[in-house]
Parts: sequence; structure tokens; C-alpha cells
Amino acid sequence: MPERHVLCFGNELHGDDGFGIGVYAQLNQLDWPSDVELFNAGIAGLDALRFLQDCRQAILVDAFAGFGTIGQICVLTPEDLTGQPQTSTSHGLGIPYLLEALKIVRAPLPEILIVGVEVAKVQPFCLGLSAEIERAVPEAVRLIRELLPE
Amino acid sequence: MSRRTIQIEMNRVEGDLDFQLEMEDNIVVDARCIGTLYRGFEQIMLGRKPTDALVITPRICGICGTAQLNAAVLALEHAGRIAVPPNAVRIRNLCLMAETVQSDLRQSFLFFTADFCHPKYLSRPFYDKALAAFQPFKGSVHRGALENSRHIVEIVALFGGQWPHSSYMLPGGVTTPANSRHIIDSLSILNKLTRWFEQTVIGTDLDVWLDLQSAEQFFAWLTEKPAHDESATGLLTQISREIGLQYLGFGTPHMLSYGAYDDPRYAGTFTQHKQRLFKAGFLNGETGIVEAFDQAKITEHVRYAWFQPYPGGLHPFQGQTVPDYQPHSDRYTWCKAPRYQDKVVQTGPLADALIDGEPLIRSLYQAEGGNAWLRQFARLRRTAKLLRTMRDTLHELSADLDEPHMLPPATKDIPDGEGFGLVTAARGGLGHWLQIADGAISRYQVVTPTAWNASPKDSAGRHGHWESSLIGMRVDDPDDPVEIGHIIRSHDPCLVCTVHILDSGKRLTLWP
Repeated sequence: MPERHVLCFGNELHGDDGFGIGVYAQLNQLDWPSDVELFNAGIAGLDALRFLQDCRQAILVDAFAGFGTIGQICVLTPEDLTGQPQTSTSHGLGIPYLLEALKIVRAPLPEILIVGVEVAKVQPFCLGLSAEIERAVPEAVRLIRELLPE
Repeated sequence: MSRRTIQIEMNRVEGDLDFQLEMEDNIVVDARCIGTLYRGFEQIMLGRKPTDALVITPRICGICGTAQLNAAVLALEHAGRIAVPPNAVRIRNLCLMAETVQSDLRQSFLFFTADFCHPKYLSRPFYDKALAAFQPFKGSVHRGALENSRHIVEIVALFGGQWPHSSYMLPGGVTTPANSRHIIDSLSILNKLTRWFEQTVIGTDLDVWLDLQSAEQFFAWLTEKPAHDESATGLLTQISREIGLQYLGFGTPHMLSYGAYDDPRYAGTFTQHKQRLFKAGFLNGETGIVEAFDQAKITEHVRYAWFQPYPGGLHPFQGQTVPDYQPHSDRYTWCKAPRYQDKVVQTGPLADALIDGEPLIRSLYQAEGGNAWLRQFARLRRTAKLLRTMRDTLHELSADLDEPHMLPPATKDIPDGEGFGLVTAARGGLGHWLQIADGAISRYQVVTPTAWNASPKDSAGRHGHWESSLIGMRVDDPDDPVEIGHIIRSHDPCLVCTVHILDSGKRLTLWP
């Protein structure tokens, strides 16, 4: 039973909002311990609650705005998002909303970390990541790998 | 006199919608409803194999994918004159109802009622009750809706393998028959939600609630017991009426319903319009008479939309959807303007209930008209009705488990020709029209419920339904127009709604 989940959020049609999906593609190339499961959560919004059941640890991956300098990888805890009801990304209800909802549907909560990259802006209908964000993808992958040891 | 423009941005999962309002002395004098996202599904479908519609069109929406799939399969079956067995109709109906129930509960208690907790109402006597019930993540009803609404679409997953974006309806039926395991699992999901609905939302038994037939009976019921008056529906009604939503947000008086859920007893017949469990029709707002519905009377205009121009309106079988972005013109949206009998109409649960002849909704409508409170109330009334109809459908299925779930069509391919599929999605009438030439799709036109309601002006300059429901409204504080939020949300367009005012560049969030 996979007990450690990685959920990657984003919309690859909208420029740097596709960061999480880029990370997902690279994570998928790696060999993982049997208790780790990867999810392409895309723009699932509230439906992503499903992916947060039955796990003791979860890493969420998304694009950030307002947490660092452009291209910088940040690791946040749910507490860091308190008072941030929305992310600036375009997928409807963002991670803060999802985490609030999770408190209602499951207890105790899994241990959650949010890994993201600071993006300059989300460009609608623009395929591909900008150069700075593209460079941040392998770094995020390395970090997630370290956060999920054998 | 001061004039200013307010822009309201409505970020949906499935597309972006903005409102631009012109205000004069706090009164809305003009409204433009702006679809900011071009989807292009009509182009994507061209030249493809007709059955590709079953995989592609459910991706139009992550909330109503079952409705899109159902419309697509009906259009293919109409084109190929393909019969389906009664059990396939039952399974399709059950799944479509499950999707609608989830959408309606979330719209009501995650979005609509959250506005009652706005600080504007701090000094109102209802405020503490509003917080206790409806405050996001803290109120009992909000929390209950979040937990209880999420399981009902598991019924779609039982029959369709996944939700959303599933493709389990095929010309001739559905991919999986119902077995006793499906029935037991579905009943268990349904019963759990029904219990919560009875205890929290209506404070009474489903059948007792559905027996209420008139405005008098309803208002007497409301004050009869604390459980009624303190139920989520009771609170929603009292607060809505306390702040005057029964006097606001009427929009166009004309209403349209395609009818909901094919009647399984007529599964194999090919009438122009299918027999349905809830009736189709057109409520003419000028005469008050419900006329027979005929899809041939639908047209779409593009005079104010960013499409290649054509004069007047075109029926979807002649329809063109060729994008032509013209930012510096008087065109303002990616939505076409659909019209029925050349009239501006609204669609959704209020229209459905009135056209079907639902006695309580009709009685309330006769008393006060189609206002914002009644529109919201009709949506919850529908949930009760659907919970009961789902239970009946499961019982019918379990009585006939050995009946076929699929009648394989006589030919492998859908023949050249044309067909349409009309369904009632959570937000109203949804239609797909397709034409097939040389084995490939030569035309595919989708008219969504939101196209009807969010319509821009037409060739004659008449505003669409949402636009007209806001014109004339008074807003106390244009920097924080919570009244607009109530009206807009009663129409069920959005997940998150932010407002920004152009002249100050200030950006405000209505909720959360």
C-alpha cells in the first residue's frame, strides 16, 4: 500500500503554471520505493482530496507566487499557507483551499510538505516553461527524491 | 452623477468569465458578461470519426462531463437511429443525476451561502446563525456539504470506471451492466447522502418535504418546528428573504427546458424529442404559457462575440464557430448569443421545475416571480427530487438485472447524416448537434447552459439573461458589491469570484 504520495498540480497549457506537471514527468522516469505513489493532479481542485487519503506523508508540487525570487525552489508547510486563501495559479480552487478541506475529511492529517517554484507570471495558452523555471525542475526533482528516502 | 465601471472576474475551473458593470450613482446601468476563454471544441471535432465525440467532449467540463457524454451519445444515436435498452437509459440517468446532485450541493453550500457570512451583515440578527452554519470550513453545513457531496459521483465511477471525463456511454447502451454489487454500493452511497440531506438540509423526511405543494404550505412548514426553521434550507430561505433576494435578479422572463432524463419505457423509440421523466418546454414569459419545445427554434447570434460575423442567428445545424478576435471593437466575449423563437431565455433548475409543473416552485413563482432566492431554492428542491428518483432508478435496475445493457448497433459506423443530443446538465439545457459526411464529422456545435445564461447581446442589441438580471440593481458599496455576488451566484456560474474595480486598480475577493 503506497503510503507516501506526491501530487503534482498545474496546467501545462498555461506557461509556468505547468511547473508541477514538468516535475511529474521527470519523477515518473525514476525508480521509487514501493510505498511511494506519484499523481498528476493537474487542475483537479477539490477532487484531489482522493489522492490525500490513505497516506501518511504527502508532498504537493505547484507553482508559487509571493514566496521567493523567480526560479527559486521553496519548501513550505501547510502553516505557511494560512491566511492565503488562493494561489495565483489558474486552477480554480488552490492548494490552501484543498488543505482546509482536507482537515474536514480526514484526521489525523498526513504529514504534508509543499514544494514549489516562484514564477514571474502565468501566461495563458503558452506551451512550455520559461528558461528559469525549466532549470528549476531538476532541482525540485532532486529535492523531492531526498525528501522520500528508501 | 458619478459613473464608473466595475469589472467582476469569475474564475471557473472550466473557463473564465468576467462581468463589466457600468454604474451610475450606485445603480447598474449596463452590464457585459465576458467569456474570456476560447475553447474551440467545435474545431477540434472537425474531420474526426463521429465516435471520437465520446472521448473528447466529456473533457469540455470537469464538473458536468457526464452530461457532455450523454449529449454526445444521444446525438450519435439520433444520427444513426440506434436503439438502446431500458437498463442503459437507467444507468445513464443514474450517473447524470449523481453528477447534478454533487454540483447542486456544492454550489449551494460551498459557494452561495458563504456570502451570508460577509461582514456587511455583522449587525444583522441572523449573522451568528449564518456563521455557525455557512462559514467556510467552520460552519456545520459547509463542512457537511464538503464531506457528503464528494462521494456521490463514486456511483459514476462504479458504472463508468472513472469520474470526471468518463466515456462509458456508447451508441446502443453503456459499457457495463448493473450487477447486485453495483446496486448495493450505489444504494449505500445514496443512503448516506440522503440521511445527511434529511437531517441537515431539510430537517425532515424526503417524502414529507416533497409533499409540500404550495407557497402557503411551505411557509407554514418553515415555522412549524425548530428542525425546519433551523435546517440549511430554512436558514437559506430566511436569510435570503431578510436581505431581499426575493425582489432581485429576475433576468429574462422566458425560460427553456430540454426536459430531463430519458424515460426508460420509451428507450427504443425515435420521436423528434425523447419522452422524459421531467418535461421539456418553453415558458413564454409574456403569456405565462408553457409551449411545446422544438429544437428547430434555436438560433445563435455572434453580433457581439469574437467570431467571424454572419447576419442574424443560425440554427446549430447551419452554425459556424470560426474564431475572429476583434479586441478594439464593440464585440466583447467568446460566448455566442443563443435565442429561442428569437427570444432571450434562461435555463437551469428554476426553468426546469416551472416547465415540468413542480407545484411548490410554481406556486412560489406565481406569488413573487423568478427571483434570486427562488432560483437557488429550486436548485435545492431538485436535489430532493433527484435523491428520490435515484433510489427509484436503482430499485428498477435491481428488478431487471438480467436485461441487456447494450444493443449492438447493426452497423459498425455511424452513417452519414445529422443528429442532436439534448440533456439537462446541472446548470441547464445542454445540446450537441453534429453532421457527418464521408464518415467524418463535418460540423459539431455545442450549446452549453452557460451559453444561454451568460449570453451577450444579440443582433438586435438585446442583453442576455445574466446581464439583464443585474441591470437596474442598486449596489451599496461598489468597492465591495456583495449584492452582485448573491445574484451572480444564484445563477451558478463559478467557483471563485473576485472583483476588481478598473478606476482604482483595486482588486477585491468576494469569497473565499
